Amino acid sequence: MNQDLQYVGHTFPIHDAPQKVRGDLKYLSDMKLPNMLYAKLLLSPIAHGLIKRMDTSKAEALSGVIGVFTHLNTSGKTYSRYRIVPDQELCFEDERLLTDKVRFVGDRVAAVVATSKETAKEAISLILVEYEELPVLSTPEQALQDQNTKIHPEGNLLHEYVLKLGEQVPLPKDCVVVETSTSTQKVHHAAMETHVCLADFDSSGKLTLWAACQGVFGVRTIVADLLELSYNKVRVIKVPMGGSFGGKQETILEPITAFLAKAVRQPVKLALTREETMIATMTRPATTSKIKTTVTKQGILAEFRVDTVLDAGAYATSSIDSTYAMSKKICKLYRIPYYEHSGKTVYTNTPVAGGARGWGAPEIMTALEIHMDAVAKRLGMDLVEFRLKNLVHPYDLDKASQISLGNACVIECLEKGTATFGWSERYNREPDQGRFRRGVGLACAAHKNGMYGGFSEHSTMTMKMNEDGSFTLNTGLHELGCGTITSITQIAAEVLEIDLDKITVMEADTEYGPYDFGSYGSRVTYICGACAYEVAKRLKERLLEWAAHSLQKPKETLVGKNGRVWVVGNEQQSISYRDIATTAKIKGNIDLVVTHTYHGTSNPGAYAVHFAEVEVDTETGRVKVVDYLAAHDIGKAINPGMVEGQIQGGVQMGIGYALYEEIRVGGDGSILNSSLKNYHVLNAPDMPTVKTLLIEQGGDDGPYGAKSIGEIAFVPVAAAVVNAVNNALGTSLSIMPLTPEKIMATLKSRYEARGTRHE
Amino acid sequence: MQIEFKVNGKEHTMHIQSTMRLVDLLREELGLTGTKEGCGAGECGSCTVLMNGKAVNSCLVLAPQINGQEIITIEALEQDGQLDKLQESFIHNSAVQCGYCTPGMLMSAKALLMRNPNPTEEEIKTSIAGNLCRCTGYNKIVTAIKEAAES
Repeated sequence: MNQDLQYVGHTFPIHDAPQKVRGDLKYLSDMKLPNMLYAKLLLSPIAHGLIKRMDTSKAEALSGVIGVFTHLNTSGKTYSRYRIVPDQELCFEDERLLTDKVRFVGDRVAAVVATSKETAKEAISLILVEYEELPVLSTPEQALQDQNTKIHPEGNLLHEYVLKLGEQVPLPKDCVVVETSTSTQKVHHAAMETHVCLADFDSSGKLTLWAACQGVFGVRTIVADLLELSYNKVRVIKVPMGGSFGGKQETILEPITAFLAKAVRQPVKLALTREETMIATMTRPATTSKIKTTVTKQGILAEFRVDTVLDAGAYATSSIDSTYAMSKKICKLYRIPYYEHSGKTVYTNTPVAGGARGWGAPEIMTALEIHMDAVAKRLGMDLVEFRLKNLVHPYDLDKASQISLGNACVIECLEKGTATFGWSERYNREPDQGRFRRGVGLACAAHKNGMYGGFSEHSTMTMKMNEDGSFTLNTGLHELGCGTITSITQIAAEVLEIDLDKITVMEADTEYGPYDFGSYGSRVTYICGACAYEVAKRLKERLLEWAAHSLQKPKETLVGKNGRVWVVGNEQQSISYRDIATTAKIKGNIDLVVTHTYHGTSNPGAYAVHFAEVEVDTETGRVKVVDYLAAHDIGKAINPGMVEGQIQGGVQMGIGYALYEEIRVGGDGSILNSSLKNYHVLNAPDMPTVKTLLIEQGGDDGPYGAKSIGEIAFVPVAAAVVNAVNNALGTSLSIMPLTPEKIMATLKSRYEARGTRHE
Repeated sequence: MQIEFKVNGKEHTMHIQSTMRLVDLLREELGLTGTKEGCGAGECGSCTVLMNGKAVNSCLVLAPQINGQEIITIEALEQDGQLDKLQESFIHNSAVQCGYCTPGMLMSAKALLMRNPNPTEEEIKTSIAGNLCRCTGYNKIVTAIKEAAES
């Protein structure tokens, strides 16, 4: 491990915090262009139906309306909002700009462009649509059963697969078989800024998109191909965004906004309301996973079978890959001789599911860790001891990818976390008997570091030394609010041994910046961070070479510090970065600039073990999380303050996932809670203090040993909280979220069975 | 209709539609885009401003209601080139992530400290109960407000 680090391992505020606290930073929703027009969408009020007739005449006649668009005057070409590179596999092109058949409440039916938001809104209300309603399939079970109603022509079963890893061998007769079933629900990402897009198509034939997105090149490939524009004629610029959490990973608003701007030849802004964002963008997918394990009496996992059904909603987007991802997580966490996972991805007439923080890991890890508690209880074994017998060890192979899991320190997370939390004392405490019952739960989790092993994995950056000795690092990065730019700056600052304010890190721009796949897959710190490290190292070599020439000393005798290069052992002899940069250009005719493409060649596991203590009110069913500890195997925390923030934010989201949050869909496909009034996001009084325990053992290829944090922080939370509730009540609840209604129904049926409220 | 009001110390006289919301007046008419809109229904607190020293959701206030009143927005929290201690504290405690909730959060905290300079942790949490943040889990925000109050 590196010692004496100046910048890495120290807390710095997010780079644009001074602008943010002043209200100065211009988010996409704050941006305006000269002659900008406003777009508004007509969203389907019904969940399934054919559009039989449309009358847009009144809308068109309204003063201030520039254009009205429906499936009748837009291209019928289909696309996938998920695709990030051309010819990508498993990207079903089942969506079009404006549909002639609605498939969920919120499907895009028409668009209006007008001179003001108010006019666009009024025009939308003047469009008449006649639907021929079709039967609504609001659950995967219905969709799989009803062979006569097809949401898409190919049928409702979008994809199906079986993954088998390892070999089945004869097992001892006294093995124990345990089965559980866990359901996770659709949730709203709830980024505080709603979905917005701004597009301009100028007279040179060039399209510019200002995008609050996670991957500008993904946006470009989809929009350019759809509108049949050459890629060099489409510029996508990443702009400041108010949160994403996967909800802005896929290309949702950009195709229609780009189309509208091209059609009217003026800048067009499309900004969704909260309700529109909740129902008509994306949700976390709902899943059901049945797990059946065979375990020896000694508590060693022998066989593991999982059967997952994932509700894709009305369009395919990333759901097939999400289902696949769910099957590739468990073997990153536990040693399992034989593993079998079948997955079904199913269309329903419900909001579109898609990428969401953790990408399949939270869904399957929740099911897994609820199951592991059930197995330990069946064996009569301690919950920690049972897990310790089965967790992966450092440098085990990932059974699914056959790639090393790297310095996987999950056992250390569990052991140290158990001690710090005081797990044994709390778990073995005398059970409460009164109205309020306390309980504790823990959950282990695994995630990844980038896409190596499953997809191409590289990142390109260009770093230049400016004439005054400062630096500009041009990247394809996307700051989502996690502190990416700051941590990348810290890495470069550490290499170059110069203060953060002398390095500017630029965000993604398809025209001016280098290529990067985007901010997802927990790849940014591990892959892009390593790229920043390498490009800074290479540029430093170049500047040291010129310094050596200037100082007439061998390069090996030089060190950089505080923006100067010094001769080791001779404190009098040094040259400033400014003089290096300027003299290199003028005297040496040298441009100090380096472009580097970093290729990922490893994908270690990122690990966490979370511990929750809850208090359940048995009169109301309300659960309060009263204490929380998150232990993380992070390799090295580049910016510990921001890492803690990621973890605490992940816990907030995860408690909501466990207890409150759900986009509820009625049998007719209607959305029962489409505002933040009836969709509860945890607020400050709901939130416990989250203590963090960082295990920093490095050992892998990330910069200074760093591994991912943003996604893994969310992965174990729901299981830890659910397990704590089950511990408090002696229940085995596994249908999320554990709302007061569900808890009371469970307690009521138990009281009725016993004939008494008393234990 | 015509209204007269003060925003960030400056007098304004303006002709407005009676249905105009305060958040739109600030953002669209005065260009004060530091005030954010996250839900338009008074549920998220992103649009919080001070009206006569009290925190209000500017998406729930109609422009006619500010006639004769004084509004303070995030743009005026910094005074004479000096950041408010709350702003300083948010920066140094890593209480800012995506930052979209930050202006509203700061205005609610400002309203609290104006009426109660020494709040308890519970009072701090209650004062920002109407401000949703999806990034931070509130821990660092509560610490930042506490530290600003103590400084």
